[in-house]
Amino acid sequence: MNPKREIRVQTIVVSLLVSIMTILLLGILLSFQPLSGSLGSELLAINQTTTQSANAVTSVVTYFRGLDTLGEVTILFLSIFGIGLGIERLQEKENIFSYDNALLKIGADILFPLIILFGFYIIIHGHLSPGGGFQGGVVIASAFLLMFLAKNNELKLNHKITTLVEALSGAGFVLVGILGLLLVDRFLGNFLPLGTLGKLWSGGVIPLIYIFVGLKVSAEISTLVEYFIRIKDAR
Amino acid sequence: MIGFIVLCIFAMLILLAIFIISNNDLAHSVILFMGFGLGSAVLFVLFSAPDVALTEAVIGAGTSGVVLLVTLLQISKKGRNA
Repeated sequence: MNPKREIRVQTIVVSLLVSIMTILLLGILLSFQPLSGSLGSELLAINQTTTQSANAVTSVVTYFRGLDTLGEVTILFLSIFGIGLGIERLQEKENIFSYDNALLKIGADILFPLIILFGFYIIIHGHLSPGGGFQGGVVIASAFLLMFLAKNNELKLNHKITTLVEALSGAGFVLVGILGLLLVDRFLGNFLPLGTLGKLWSGGVIPLIYIFVGLKVSAEISTLVEYFIRIKDAR
Repeated sequence: MIGFIVLCIFAMLILLAIFIISNNDLAHSVILFMGFGLGSAVLFVLFSAPDVALTEAVIGAGTSGVVLLVTLLQISKKGRNA
């Protein structure tokens, strides 16, 4: 068989697959029934029976549009990854952002655990009150920002730990999605007991997803801030 | 009453935006930008969007301002040392 013929076989298979997928997509699109009312009122009407989450915004972000959140988390990961790829070679030990002040150091020591606690509160109560994984993660990262400001060179993030936390939480998000696909036939479907509305143990799979998102975002943003603080003069 | 407060914040934000653009000192611009983020966070709370307000307060008034400020410090480090 000459190479020309082999290429032709590949081309035929690929074009066959593409045409099958196009026909499938056309069939799905043509059979799609538009919703009768507006999407927002429909989602609000089914929110309590499907998620038992007191914060309807959260249930839209993580449950009805959970795949979009996965995409957003991936975009954030890719941007931090790109910045790290460009900047990591330029790292130096000196922290130019720090400010030598006794009051700031003692205040940062007192405030650091409180800000971390507040961040975890926002993450864990995402399905009950305003906030959620992204906001709480950035609050935790701002605690690290305060420590970078107060401590001169004593504080350095352990990049092995931040990478591990980020990778494990990202994998956990996808794992929750795949478990939903296996157990209830829907990606990011709810396979946990729903609980009662307004209690901490409610919302099914939503708190789990938000804990993963919060850990991932906090690790990413603190790594980003450290990259910017410790960059060597490029000129 | 809420409408009056919202209009006041709108005027303040427009004024802040003009100051941010027209300022000659970039460090002042960044500080004013953080103030702009705080003002828009208050605006989001008044428009009953607390989730967005929380994000804006942490990102707009905190982290992005600090990242811009650090970048400014980095690019002017050589000038300061010389």
